Amino acid sequence: MNKELTYWLALAHVAKIQTKKKNEIIVRLFEKGKSIIDFFEFEHSAWENDYDLNQPELKLFEEAKKELSTYAFMVEDLLEQGYGILPITSQDYSPTLKKNLGKTYAPPVLYTKGNLQIMKEKSIAIVGSRKANDISLEFTDNVAKNAAKDYKVVVSGFAKGVDKQALDSAIKYKGQSIIVLPQGIATFQSGFKKYYKQIIDGDVLVLSTFYPKAPWSVQLAMARNPIIYGLASEIYVAESSEKGGTWSGVMDGLKKGREIYVRKPSAKESNANHLLISKGGKAVDLEGNLSSHEIKEETKSIVSEPELNNTEEKIIEFLKTGVFPANKIVDTLKIDWSARKVSEFLKSRQEILTVKGNPIKFAHKNRSIQMQKSLFD
Amino acid sequence: MNRQEAEIKLKNTFGFDHFYDEQWETIDLLFKGKRVLLIEKTGYGKSLCFQFPATQFPGLTVIFSPLIALMRDQVKGLNSKGIKAKFINSEQTPEENSLTIQEAISGKLKILYIAPERQENQEWIEATRRMNLSMIVIDEAHTISVWGHDFRPAFRRIINLVKLLPQNLPVLATTATATKRVQEDIEKQISGNIQTIRGELTRENFRLYVICVNSEDEKLLWLAENLHILEGNGIIYTGTRVNTEIYSRWFEFSGINATEYNAGLDSDSRKEIENGLMNNRWKAVISTNALGMGIDKSDIRFIVHTQIPASPIHYYQEIGRAGRDGKPTRLILFYNSTKDENGIEEDVKLPQAFIDGGRPRIKNYSKVINVLKQEPLGERQIMKAANLKQTQVRVIKADLIEQGIIKEVIYGRSKKYEYQFNAPELNTKAFDELRDQKLKELSAMLEYVNLKTSRMKFLCDYLGDNSHTYYQNCDNTTLEPYLINPQDQTILKLQEFRESYFPKLIVESTHSNIVNGVASSYYGVSSVGAALHRSKYENGGDFPDFLLKLTLKAFRKKYGQEKFDFIVYVPPTESGDLVKNFAEKLSQVLKVPISHKLIKTGETQPQKIFKNGYLKKENVAQKFSYSRPDELTGKSVILFDDIFDSGSTIKEIGNVLTKFGVIKIAPLVIAKTVGGDI
Repeated sequence: MNKELTYWLALAHVAKIQTKKKNEIIVRLFEKGKSIIDFFEFEHSAWENDYDLNQPELKLFEEAKKELSTYAFMVEDLLEQGYGILPITSQDYSPTLKKNLGKTYAPPVLYTKGNLQIMKEKSIAIVGSRKANDISLEFTDNVAKNAAKDYKVVVSGFAKGVDKQALDSAIKYKGQSIIVLPQGIATFQSGFKKYYKQIIDGDVLVLSTFYPKAPWSVQLAMARNPIIYGLASEIYVAESSEKGGTWSGVMDGLKKGREIYVRKPSAKESNANHLLISKGGKAVDLEGNLSSHEIKEETKSIVSEPELNNTEEKIIEFLKTGVFPANKIVDTLKIDWSARKVSEFLKSRQEILTVKGNPIKFAHKNRSIQMQKSLFD
Repeated sequence: MNRQEAEIKLKNTFGFDHFYDEQWETIDLLFKGKRVLLIEKTGYGKSLCFQFPATQFPGLTVIFSPLIALMRDQVKGLNSKGIKAKFINSEQTPEENSLTIQEAISGKLKILYIAPERQENQEWIEATRRMNLSMIVIDEAHTISVWGHDFRPAFRRIINLVKLLPQNLPVLATTATATKRVQEDIEKQISGNIQTIRGELTRENFRLYVICVNSEDEKLLWLAENLHILEGNGIIYTGTRVNTEIYSRWFEFSGINATEYNAGLDSDSRKEIENGLMNNRWKAVISTNALGMGIDKSDIRFIVHTQIPASPIHYYQEIGRAGRDGKPTRLILFYNSTKDENGIEEDVKLPQAFIDGGRPRIKNYSKVINVLKQEPLGERQIMKAANLKQTQVRVIKADLIEQGIIKEVIYGRSKKYEYQFNAPELNTKAFDELRDQKLKELSAMLEYVNLKTSRMKFLCDYLGDNSHTYYQNCDNTTLEPYLINPQDQTILKLQEFRESYFPKLIVESTHSNIVNGVASSYYGVSSVGAALHRSKYENGGDFPDFLLKLTLKAFRKKYGQEKFDFIVYVPPTESGDLVKNFAEKLSQVLKVPISHKLIKTGETQPQKIFKNGYLKKENVAQKFSYSRPDELTGKSVILFDDIFDSGSTIKEIGNVLTKFGVIKIAPLVIAKTVGGDI
């Protein structure tokens, strides 16, 4: 995989080409069983005919190709400093992000620092104004506390106000968090120093989707918002005004059919929370709990989930989705086997690979991305 | 381009008519965008294999080389042929390096030589984004393998880089010395369908000798009597830095035209000696093995080793620097086979000690890991927080990075080391394997010493060149062995030298009136150290009188009949009045009044517990004063202490006395330690 990273950066940072186009190229490569390296070595005719590149695009990719060796230097430097570089085909790439943003918006490459496993956990984002009031901050603290209790990750945009509160609270309650940067990953030294302990203990993952050396800018801050929403399985709104980043983010999320929980404001507050609720956001109280009739609906949907009756089959199926240790399998599938039993069973199966480490992890032989029907669901 | 076309261009630019077959084979592969490992002996013409294609490629060729001297020589050579080449390394100022980088970016250069450490430099990394690269060359490629004889951690990053480079970018790795194992390791590391081209390693013009001796003195005696008989000019490699100094003083004493070279010299002096070597200014340069690697001198006529190298590969590599012109060249290796009380041969001890001390203790690895679990730290901060020597910290750092336990991260303009989430446990098994390997190599070196058959054949076989050349030209085959048979007057002269040779203490600085001082002996290489140790730590009473005699002799040798106003001594930390009593005796004999007014104003710890210069300096900073400063103005004083280690104490007192108006501070100590860190 390492060898491909140079090419992935070249693709990810081709200027003036939309994410959707880049992802379409990736999908097509997978359909044809080709690698990203192959792509850069195709003739122009293949680029034109098989990958639908037009003349200006051909030029842009020709330029990108010339920069390959310089990207090699950059990749080496980033890896050497301990940053993660995750192409969208990587097993470590956030499945939540891929699912939520889809082919149109999911960034082809993520840059990270810290515990990648965090991206596989259930996650929430708490969003709101930079100048949020005390009730909003209290709400944020409550929601983050519950998240920590339920082993859910808090996704934070690292802005002032609600973002910062969400992160501080998650750390305070010993939960896990993802910091989504409004800048390139290699420009966050002050933050790496500040969250050093949390990062090396595996409680904080720092993530950026931008060119690694890009400094903070308003554009990047705006471009980061959909990533925050995309990384979260649930979204809580602490406080929103009728315009700005929070508002447009939530509206966008509602349009895409995301579940969004909005704090029910008191009569005295002058913010747009009511308006968001009327547009489809679900009202929650200061603790982040739904009002009673909505809880019922939730329960119903869980009950209707079809249940596989064969535990062994269930475990094997599950392993097609990723690489897991035995205890994780037990926890996630809620089966009444011991982790040891799961281990013994898997070791006896020919289609299962073991991945050395502590604890030992298991993977399905047919799990490779090439074997998937499509990259995006 | 076919061979014929290429050779026309070769003639025009480089002045040669033809390529050797293996040269062309290499160049042809590079033109096709392939990766090549080229193993050829020194002097074969490996550089042409990248210099020629570099002149034909549209963009820049970057050559990673660990040898600064080689960069300088090759760049000079290329420029004289009208080829735009430059280098970037620590010998140039940052401004010069920046300028070179700019020229590389703007496409003004064809060839850029660069030290592998530069891959850690942000300016360089930034600049590479804007360069048009055509080829990458890794010179001295054996240094990328831990199984090679001179592993350089800095090359690890170059290898990572090479793995990431686009597939069709030509990469050439070259070396003169790679065993089969090293070859396979290089192939694996560079990957990407690398093709290996291996030539013959035999050197017909070499005359190989081993001289077994019964003492260190016999080496000095033989050289004093025979060096002038050896034809031409050459290099004498000693095992340690201290020995370059001792051999050099001995030759001076014997009237032999020689000079010393070691890594302790500043870069200007080093350059001057390298130039002098090129111009045959001395019969011999006495050096640690740092000299001569990559020096473009074809007529080094002899190389003498006063200590055995760590392995036959080291030996082949080091002697490979001689006789590149193909004329007869003498390679002499001394070996002191005297056994000590434990039955261990004297000359095994040094390489054995390097192997044993090559890696810091595991405990020290844990120390570094633990301090880095708290916060990200720079190198100096690690040294302070873990109380470790710089050399140790560097080895530990490199190992921990190699194992993925820590990473080097850029914080603004500085580098810090970060512990990694999910870091693996320290793997000490790798260290043991490496140690075993080194012990094996050392025993192969001893095999060479005791060999009864062709020496060159042994070396070629060892290096994986099995071309079965029948080879003569050594003291086991066709040559008369050298014998030790010194004349009485040389023996007397050596004795005289031994009694009048005193180590220098380098402490001078621009803002202090302290001068370089003198010690009566080295701590470790004589009975002096043992005597000091008995008195200091085993209740052996005052320092014995033979030390007084020796110290007085050292004083007279260095300071002659110069007049001093006082003798002051360093107030003790833990050894009571030993230093004071000794200073009183010195005062009586020298008839220089003793002063007891140099005092401590704060607690200090014994310097020996601090493992690096920063902590030693901190320990003594602002801790000394003089109770009657007024009497010091305009005076000259002798500053006495028993042992000189880092020199921090002596320098600190020098500063204090300078402040109080002393015009000359002359340090005098009984013994100087060997290998004090920074």
